[in-house]
Amino acid sequence: MRVGLEIFELARAVGARSIFVVGIGRDVGKTTVLRAVYAAAAETGVRIALASMNPKQRLWLRPQTVFVTARGLLPRYPAAQILKLSGLQSPTGELVYARTVSSGLYELAGAPTASGVREIVTTLAALSELAVVDGAVDRVASLAGSDGAIVIACGAGAAKTMQEAVDEVAALAARLRVPAVDKAAASIDLDGALTAAQAASFMAAREERQIVVRDPTQIALSGKAGSRALSQLAVRCRRPLRVIAATVASIGTERTFEPRAFATAVADATGLPTFDVYAGVRAA
Amino acid sequence: MKALELLDPASAHVLGFEWLTAALAPVSSYGDRHFSELRPFVAGEESQAQERAQAIARLAAGLDAERLDALHAAFGDLPDAAGAVARASLGDVLDDPNFLELRRFSATVERIDGLLAELTEWAPVSNDSVRAIQAALAPGGRDETGFYLADAFDAELAALRDGLGREQAALDAARGRENERAANALAREAIEGDEFIIMRAEIDRALPAGIRVLREAPTYLLCSLEYGEASLAALARRDAAAEAVAHAEERVRAALSALVRDQAAAIGDAERRLGELDVSLAAARFTRRYGCTPAEIANEPALAFERGRFLPLEADLSAAGRPFVPLDLELHDVAVLTGPNMGGKSVSLQTCGFVALCAAFGLPVPAARARTALFDQIAWLGTGREAQIGGLLSSFAREVLELKAILTRAAPRLLILADEFARTTTPHEGKALLIALLQRLHERRACGMLATHLAGIAGAAGARHFAVRGLAGIPRRPPSEDVVEALAALAEAMDYTIGEVTGDERPRADAIALTALLGIDRELVDAAYRSLSQ
Repeated sequence: MRVGLEIFELARAVGARSIFVVGIGRDVGKTTVLRAVYAAAAETGVRIALASMNPKQRLWLRPQTVFVTARGLLPRYPAAQILKLSGLQSPTGELVYARTVSSGLYELAGAPTASGVREIVTTLAALSELAVVDGAVDRVASLAGSDGAIVIACGAGAAKTMQEAVDEVAALAARLRVPAVDKAAASIDLDGALTAAQAASFMAAREERQIVVRDPTQIALSGKAGSRALSQLAVRCRRPLRVIAATVASIGTERTFEPRAFATAVADATGLPTFDVYAGVRAA
Repeated sequence: MKALELLDPASAHVLGFEWLTAALAPVSSYGDRHFSELRPFVAGEESQAQERAQAIARLAAGLDAERLDALHAAFGDLPDAAGAVARASLGDVLDDPNFLELRRFSATVERIDGLLAELTEWAPVSNDSVRAIQAALAPGGRDETGFYLADAFDAELAALRDGLGREQAALDAARGRENERAANALAREAIEGDEFIIMRAEIDRALPAGIRVLREAPTYLLCSLEYGEASLAALARRDAAAEAVAHAEERVRAALSALVRDQAAAIGDAERRLGELDVSLAAARFTRRYGCTPAEIANEPALAFERGRFLPLEADLSAAGRPFVPLDLELHDVAVLTGPNMGGKSVSLQTCGFVALCAAFGLPVPAARARTALFDQIAWLGTGREAQIGGLLSSFAREVLELKAILTRAAPRLLILADEFARTTTPHEGKALLIALLQRLHERRACGMLATHLAGIAGAAGARHFAVRGLAGIPRRPPSEDVVEALAALAEAMDYTIGEVTGDERPRADAIALTALLGIDRELVDAAYRSLSQ
């Protein structure tokens, strides 16, 4: 099975113009997922663009790939086609949109602010047919209400036990998949984030109205408690996100999980198509 | 734009210097640099100030709104190539984003020159050096929005890149074969990524050749695909070809950088011209937007205008859907201004300061006609100044210290705008102070106005006396008791016209009427009227 191709086709099926790969923590295989989706999409002839919200992401890119990097990270060799100077600043200089002419190693970079990420995603959408972004959960707000899709990566690197990793990814998936508000039903609109304290208070009051936040990133709940709150309260958002898949990486720096059991548990807990890029399998 | 000695910070605040700075802001980094160095013209530079204001007015008149917008957009697109030029001057080899900046710079300069072509007064910004850079970078792409170090820059590049392409294809093919062999041996469609998992349960014999185990787990192995002999040989050939391309690319960059270095001085001239032009265009937009006209710059201390406006307030009123009533004034020394509360005395003083301020920077002024000196100091005294000195002082003491600072500086050409100076002491002593101050300012040949509610000052000091006409009739208190409605009714009934009055007419304050209009109970208001009549 080509996991990258499967994820790419899931994104295409929902009409996504961008894919954000986000993780439950560090070392959960986000870059591996990004590489697999990139390789599969590039082979189909789609004009593809890459960006990373993580500093100094080094990747081997094929010709005609649009990418975002910082001026200080742009290699002198091989020369790339400079498409646009963004005016956005990063710690390594102004961000630059470029297109590879020859294959080679290039470093990706991303904007440090949510508005910068939004600008990058918008620009990449104009320069390519599909943008794949090594993202960060706190930056996915830029996809809210857009045609972007999200893939959640989880792995042994970000939890002490398999169950803990499964709980984390289930809570994150539940949070990011909060549905859109039903405008006909009664609701309580929150200006800021839904915090654990607020959620506890609503639960104690057996609140039945919709609790509405701007987008899923405004839900400051995590782990089992977060999952419980989201299952008991009618939390909704004005600008929903689209989560299309989960991935697992069973190898962490300090521990490993049994790959098949891990993938199956994640699939069961999230209800999402779940892939193991390393093993080349789909669990559900 | 620097006020320097012209305004102290508190006067700058009251007279809308920040507003003016924002309204005149250029759009390009060249404009920003030039703008930050702008200083007011001083006595002796009357002709330069007038010349600048007239040139800006001609620029505003010579460009229609569409062309001004196009120039605004062009300057907004203008990249800051100064860093690249400076680096090249120091002998650095520039990078490709630098070449993109220079390419866009030269193309945008050409666009700007095209938009200004009909204005013969403004010579083109471009010069031979800018054109030389544009020509040298032309192979970098079909339009100026991007840049690529294309084959056309160097005779050898195409061949070297073709060679690299062949070696890369050979390497990819060799790796592809190794990947395919390993995938077949593992009964997989493909191996994705540099690292992959093999389940122990899936292998009943030794791992296929070329697969290296990176890490072992109880149920699986984390592996990578090794480079075989064919791949390693292809890799060595690819790397050699890549090095040759890298060398050729750097040679092109060095040659282009040397050209930039050689033309740096003339490019610097173009950059300075762009800065001046951007600042002048911003002033021209300001002139058109606010209907400004060049003032006649006088050699003696004087300030006169017809239909003058204080633009920061006009903008606020306009946002609220209310008009600003333009003012006429003519000052050649320090006069007294009286009038009712809410009659616009402070705004009259601010209008004087604002008109003089615009003229000082060589700008057309917001008036139908104006004549003004270039003042060395425009000083605001009294109401409206933010406290600049410690909080231990009373209002009166603070005012006195501010006056002391003005008198001590002894600017040869002073425009003083005093808003109810000495209002916080007894009327008797306040009046005496104002008379003495007027006499001192007269000796100093200062120009300006002292607004006050105190009577008899102009006559005692031998100064001219202006008065706001004031309320034509007392407006009725709105039934809703709404303050905004009350103020609108007041504005409707107020005649803001300023006229010179002879003698010492008792100033009208209409304070009790205003008290009633603004909602104070009838009983208190009637008691005040009774007390006034006794």
